[in-house]
Amino acid sequence: MGLGSLASRTLTSSRILSSQYSRFRPIVTKPGLQSPDASSAAAAAAQPEPTPPPPRKPVGGARVELTNPDDTIEVFVDGFPVKIPKGMTVLQACEIAGVDIPRFCYHSRLSIAGNCRMCLVEVEKSPKPVASCAMPALPGMKIKTDTALAKKAREGVMEFLLMNHPLDCPICDQGGECDLQDQSMAFGSDRGRFTEMKRSVVDKNLGPLVKTVMTRCIQCTRCVRFATEVAGVQDLGMLGRGSGEEIGTYVEKLMTSELSGNVIDICPVGALTSKPFAFKARNWELKGTETIDVTDAVGSNIRIDSRGPEVMRIIPRLNEDINEEWISDKTRFCYDGLKRQRLNDPMIRDANGRFKAVSWRDALAVVAEVALKVKPEEIVGVAGKLSDAESMMALKDLLNNMGSNNVWCEGTGTNPNADLRYRYLMNSSIAGLEKADVFLLVGTQPRVEAAMVNARIRKTVRASNAKVGYIGPPTDFNYDCQHLGTGPQTILEIAEGRHPFSSAIANAKNPAIIVGAGLFERDDKDAIFAAVEAIAKKGNVIRPDWNGFNVLLLNASQAAALDLGLVPESSNSIDSAKFLYLMGADDLNLDKVPADAFVVYQGHHGDRSVYRANVILPSAAFSEKEGTYENTEGCTQQTLPAVPTVGDARDDWKIIRALSEVAGIRLPYDTLAAIRSRMSTVAPNLLRTDEKELAAFGPTLSPDCTQKIDSTPFKAAVENFYMTDSITRASKIMAQCSAMLLKK
Amino acid sequence: MAFTLRSVKVPPNSASLEEARGRVFDFFRQACRSIPTIMDIYNLDDVVTKSQLRSTIASEIRKNTHVTNPKVIDMLLFKGMEELNNIVEHAKQRHHIIGQYVLGRQGLAQDLDTKDEGVSDFLKNFYKSNYF
Repeated sequence: MGLGSLASRTLTSSRILSSQYSRFRPIVTKPGLQSPDASSAAAAAAQPEPTPPPPRKPVGGARVELTNPDDTIEVFVDGFPVKIPKGMTVLQACEIAGVDIPRFCYHSRLSIAGNCRMCLVEVEKSPKPVASCAMPALPGMKIKTDTALAKKAREGVMEFLLMNHPLDCPICDQGGECDLQDQSMAFGSDRGRFTEMKRSVVDKNLGPLVKTVMTRCIQCTRCVRFATEVAGVQDLGMLGRGSGEEIGTYVEKLMTSELSGNVIDICPVGALTSKPFAFKARNWELKGTETIDVTDAVGSNIRIDSRGPEVMRIIPRLNEDINEEWISDKTRFCYDGLKRQRLNDPMIRDANGRFKAVSWRDALAVVAEVALKVKPEEIVGVAGKLSDAESMMALKDLLNNMGSNNVWCEGTGTNPNADLRYRYLMNSSIAGLEKADVFLLVGTQPRVEAAMVNARIRKTVRASNAKVGYIGPPTDFNYDCQHLGTGPQTILEIAEGRHPFSSAIANAKNPAIIVGAGLFERDDKDAIFAAVEAIAKKGNVIRPDWNGFNVLLLNASQAAALDLGLVPESSNSIDSAKFLYLMGADDLNLDKVPADAFVVYQGHHGDRSVYRANVILPSAAFSEKEGTYENTEGCTQQTLPAVPTVGDARDDWKIIRALSEVAGIRLPYDTLAAIRSRMSTVAPNLLRTDEKELAAFGPTLSPDCTQKIDSTPFKAAVENFYMTDSITRASKIMAQCSAMLLKK
Repeated sequence: MAFTLRSVKVPPNSASLEEARGRVFDFFRQACRSIPTIMDIYNLDDVVTKSQLRSTIASEIRKNTHVTNPKVIDMLLFKGMEELNNIVEHAKQRHHIIGQYVLGRQGLAQDLDTKDEGVSDFLKNFYKSNYF
């Protein structure tokens, strides 16, 4: 009729509209439409063979590990068959099949609670929809996730959740990245029916890091489960019942755990948010840069969210081997130290002791002039805690070209030994610690030195009831730990077999010994290492299939420094130094530096060493440069620049290269690729990012040690967890934390 | 008045490269002659001197020395005339002139002292900024 003329008109127009034409079909009656029986008969008779559906990919491109190929069961998700290992839940089966089921309380790394009911799906032959996060998948189950029943269940659950949820989206920090917002748009109904008053809950004070608005809480208990399971502190709990349920600490207690910031990521709504980041930015205006954290030796993968030239927050990235999905509080909240006390101009100290800002030309000219006048054996260079491998390579090259071999890195001790790599790396790798069943911690407090390693040890202790023995000053642990002793005497006792713990090591399948890098500062460190290696030999700790001898480093730069060979010639070269080049070295003892020594400080914060410096050269912090860092297990990782450098600051290696040219001994690299190829001639593993380079040799090659062990008890390597390097010492949040959250 | 007079002066065809060259010099002279007017209109006495403006105009013209096609030279001259007209008839404002013709002209001051001899590109770029 009229439709036909329309159709003919569109026929004459372009090809693009011809597809529209195919949508207009004339309405015609068919034999099947005239009576229902006829249609089903016709349909059944005329059904062609369905082509097999293409195989579905798991959610997020995840890899599925079928540990035991014989132990798999087959279930059907929305008609698609999928093979899963036995013991998986229905939700995990759907994830493998590529169907993402909405959930609030379920988290893959926490225990199953099953209290939000958002994951309800329909299973055939089941009278009610089942909570897929809790129901184990049985063979032959037919799971349907998109039926009307499942959809109605989700809409109902969402309606209930939103009933008592305040209308806070405009003022809530989680807006834009809120699970509740996203899932209500995707799965909720379009209109509400709630006309009563909403309940409200009083806010709890959890400390200077976590902001709580408990009215927004949907009582999913993820934070409770995280605190008990992963962090090991049973601070949070659920009080009350029914609609009067509140999450909180029953007594007025602050969350002092070093992993407390992770509850901010875990909370699906805006009940627990980051207090320093409150009201600062929305997530869509932030640019995320994937880099590495350098505040400790673990090298946790982070994402720096920045807006323009300012770092707004730091979020963890997933890395199963190193930090899983968590980061410590120091990593998460140290970013405001990047904005305070920054050096932005080269400065020279003039005659009355005050610093004057000068240009790069003048500063480099002054430094080069002094360096060329000094005798080679009086030139000393020290690399800092946060230095990247490229700058340490350039520093060593520069000082070697000037004739001096007194370069070392902070924290590696007076005469570091970089010959055998197994002596300064975590040989079983952080993920490999999960396989251990006995831990012996010698002179290390992993909770303050490397919080992610501690989390991994706790995970192992919780999963397999591993035994932990600790030698050192009394500290508190968040897992069951035997305090075996305080000094090297205990090591000797265990090595000779007189201590009851040696039988535990002998009977263990995979014993792990973790030695702290704080022992590098001791004079008798060779003797202590020899004693620990004796324990390792007796307990069969180092085998071809399992190497349990681990060293937990303290700084992000130590591993790369020792790999590059930053080993000084003489151990007390500082006492006779006339030219001292400090590249970010703030924790050095500068009392022994002679009064007439010329000290150059190249760093990004005006921390401790600046007060003694004669010339200041501003350099870039880790968030502003592309640098290579090696973590304590030997995994090379790279930082990327998230924000531009402050003021007139330059990259560390560029300053050294420019200085070398001004001094007349030009270094042969001009670009990042060139200095990396120079690094590859010394330590090729530093170019292979995200790959671990395991130690090649074991203790068979280490020389015998004839030193006597000094029986002074071990000291704590880190006194204040929140303030360990120049960035954290300049941070206001870290100052608040150390004032309020440290145990006195 | 003044602007219509100026725009007529550049016919679209130059017969040869020499004619185009001559036109370029005429344009330069014309521009230099209008410098006092420009300084007066936009109050640039405290900001820049006449000789600096002359050098600026010369450097802008010098940017196109590589051009050999007379038609292209005519087109560039037409655009130059248009710009000159805009400036003289006060269609621009002071901040335009300052931003486009006064600031950022270090390339003019050839800093060829002995201190910069034999210095590599790396060091030159290093002194300027961190990103190169």
